[in-house]
Amino acid sequence: MFDQPTNRRRFLYASGSTAFAIGIGSALPDCFAQAAESATSDGERILVVVQLSGGNDGLNTLIPYRDDAYRAARPTLAVPRSDVLTIDDDIGFHPSLRSIKDLLDGGQVAVVQGVGYENPNRSHFESMDIWHSCVRKDQRRTDGWIGRTLERFTSAEGGDVPALHLGGQQQPFALASQSIRVPTVKELDEFQIRGSDPAALRRLLGGSPSVAAVEASDDDLLGFLQSSTQNAISASRRVTEAAQGYQTEIDYPESQLGRQMRLVAQLINAGMKTRVYYLQLDGFDTHAQQDATHAILLRQWSDAVSALINDLTAQGHGDRVCVMTFSEFGRRVAENASAGTDHGAAGPMFLCGGGLHAGLIGTTPRLDDLQQGDLKHTVDFRSVYASVLKDWLGTDPDPVLAGHYDTLPLFAGA
Amino acid sequence: MAEDLTIDPDWAWQPFTPSDSRQWDHVAAAHLYRRAGFGADIALLDGAARRSPRDVVDELVSLNLETSEFRSVADSLAQTLLAGGDPMKLSAAWVYRMLFTPAQLLEKTTLFWHGHFATGADKVKDASMMWRQNQLLRRHALGDFHALTQAIAKDPAMLIYLDSASNRKSHPNENFARELMELFCLGEGHYTEADVVELARCFTGWEIRNNRFRKNRYQHDDGEKSILGKRGVFDGEQAVEIVISKDDVPRFICRKLARYFIADELQWTDDLIDVPARTMRDHGLQIAPVLRQMLSSNLFYSAHARARKIKSPVELVIGMLRGLRGTTNSQRVAQGLRAIGQGLFYPPNVKGWDGGRAWINSSTVLGRANLFEQILSDGNTRFDGESLTQYLAGHDVHDAAEALDHFERCLMAVPINPANRQSLIAQFGSLGNDHEKAYRRLLHAVCSLPEFQLA
Repeated sequence: MFDQPTNRRRFLYASGSTAFAIGIGSALPDCFAQAAESATSDGERILVVVQLSGGNDGLNTLIPYRDDAYRAARPTLAVPRSDVLTIDDDIGFHPSLRSIKDLLDGGQVAVVQGVGYENPNRSHFESMDIWHSCVRKDQRRTDGWIGRTLERFTSAEGGDVPALHLGGQQQPFALASQSIRVPTVKELDEFQIRGSDPAALRRLLGGSPSVAAVEASDDDLLGFLQSSTQNAISASRRVTEAAQGYQTEIDYPESQLGRQMRLVAQLINAGMKTRVYYLQLDGFDTHAQQDATHAILLRQWSDAVSALINDLTAQGHGDRVCVMTFSEFGRRVAENASAGTDHGAAGPMFLCGGGLHAGLIGTTPRLDDLQQGDLKHTVDFRSVYASVLKDWLGTDPDPVLAGHYDTLPLFAGA
Repeated sequence: MAEDLTIDPDWAWQPFTPSDSRQWDHVAAAHLYRRAGFGADIALLDGAARRSPRDVVDELVSLNLETSEFRSVADSLAQTLLAGGDPMKLSAAWVYRMLFTPAQLLEKTTLFWHGHFATGADKVKDASMMWRQNQLLRRHALGDFHALTQAIAKDPAMLIYLDSASNRKSHPNENFARELMELFCLGEGHYTEADVVELARCFTGWEIRNNRFRKNRYQHDDGEKSILGKRGVFDGEQAVEIVISKDDVPRFICRKLARYFIADELQWTDDLIDVPARTMRDHGLQIAPVLRQMLSSNLFYSAHARARKIKSPVELVIGMLRGLRGTTNSQRVAQGLRAIGQGLFYPPNVKGWDGGRAWINSSTVLGRANLFEQILSDGNTRFDGESLTQYLAGHDVHDAAEALDHFERCLMAVPINPANRQSLIAQFGSLGNDHEKAYRRLLHAVCSLPEFQLA
């Protein structure tokens, strides 16, 4: 029954009628069941989160190129002054960030300096959990900050899946929610049921959950598997359909992140109501021979993000998409003996898109005032989240962040 | 759910004694083989059900070495695949081992240690090094945690993975030192940043030359260090010993073993985990006694543990094949496992696989179904050397309903729910002309069901 390509409205109708036919309409995932009614308005703002996993070396990303202490701490890793893409008299970008620099010059990048949190944890996993959940380990963590944000959206806005994770990695905890399952799409080509009779299998898996599952509590494993399976079938249909036949003038880089960014543009252009896209770039844990690796990773990030922004701008969506980039920590100021850097603390965050106050935000962390060899943070990451939540996504940040954090002047409308 | 109730630790770890209300039967035996291994075919299950649970567990634990016959076949296959130098091919050799080993618990525990001392071939790149590490893990899998940790600390693949292939005193590399405490032995929060810095100094001078571990005494920092409350001129071995001798170690390891072998989401409180932790400590950090206790316990056979795990990709695929005496292209299985999140020799990062619900997302749900489709649409996939039709006929299965019963019995922790069973019968009730194709499609559908994903 799902074998012909359908437009959005027909898809929604079809989903509804499948459920109706087998008499379990209430068991459809909420996000799809509500879609038919609220599928009209265009123009909602979208957040694209890019996670640089492994701890990006912020000091070699946003470089205090005139500071002698920088060069002294990094005899082999310091970027030569002549290579730095200067932003002002003190600060510049790593040479791999040419395309981000162009975006900055075009008024489409805000760089928040020295972002971190009190008493920084240098474990990848614990620090990432702090960024994802906004709470420390001594408190119970059941969901992530984006998951909590999505819960505030759904009842009012419905529509497509509220968020989408693109990538082959495990789904980030930031997206975890008590009531909403965020789909993960690894490769679009594989994101559909195959076989000699896929429609029959889709009916079996996407259809009726057992009575037991409906009655089961939220955390019952079987209930979780059933709702995950139904969600997968629904999301596969919608995403595959939305991504068909996309044309663009923009050359995306031939990297995984580039392909994922292209898919984001496709889905936004197809009118998907998804509010949050989440992407990851791995490999920033550069304990040894950092130089070449870091340059490649930064270029992949920079070129992919700028391709997305340029594409969306050309297609008329530039003012409603913001790409936010973070990493779980920066790296130690002094390089180690393996021409690499160990785990550190504060680092910069980047916001890219058309709705920003462009430029450098906040104060530059000082190299002559370190904590355990690391940069001290000057901005709490939750202040950046608060600004995005309040001034971009238009929702009250305090309940999401479990506390009040002052916002920053990041967005033009704020 | 039951886990809201506090579990009495004394009851939990007492040996399970079958009674009228809690029977030892082929369902219980299937649970044991799914967890302590990769599954069992109907003959093995029937045999186990006729023995006592204690006997069966003892046998699983005592098979702590591969038979030399099996080992020589499995090793020579690995050597052949190694010749290409591609770690991805090596992964197929491991699939072969999992599929055919008579020492299931040994292999399952080797996989546990691979997730624990996670090392990725994407960074190490050298297949023979990954192979040597794999042999190391298998050699110590059911043995002594001291010996295992000391060995892994000098393992070339591990040291390359954690950037310690050349560790110099002028500026020690902290990566291995940190993970030794955080991920391998103690857990985050049981050490300080100062411990990381000091511990790293102990490993200076450790390096890999010509693919072998060696110590470079000129690069060793022989000053005094202070680690976890102890002070002295420690070298790397002593540093490892200091970390391992902390009281937190048995609890940390047992909690992880319990999650792996018993239940993903039980609250493994200190109270509950103290009994196996004590067992581990009393046995000088030997692993086998802990597993014997866990796999024989009341808790293991209770509702707290039955169907309370989500199958890992390996458990999912190898389990289906072993349950039906299936054979197929190991290379494809290896690639398929990687595509759905458990590439052997390719853990996602140094923390290994989180498991549980993290196995499941919309991509892996579809990927799991599609991998079975690939395996089952391949004519080279055989069951006990025969077609699926012949295999099933040999077990007196002649229609779709009987086939569902057989699949449930061998493969599933919970029965197929009635609505799904009804749909499957409706679709396959009359098998049509091509029985083989119909049975394979039926099995594909069964393997794709949510309830099939439970172990």
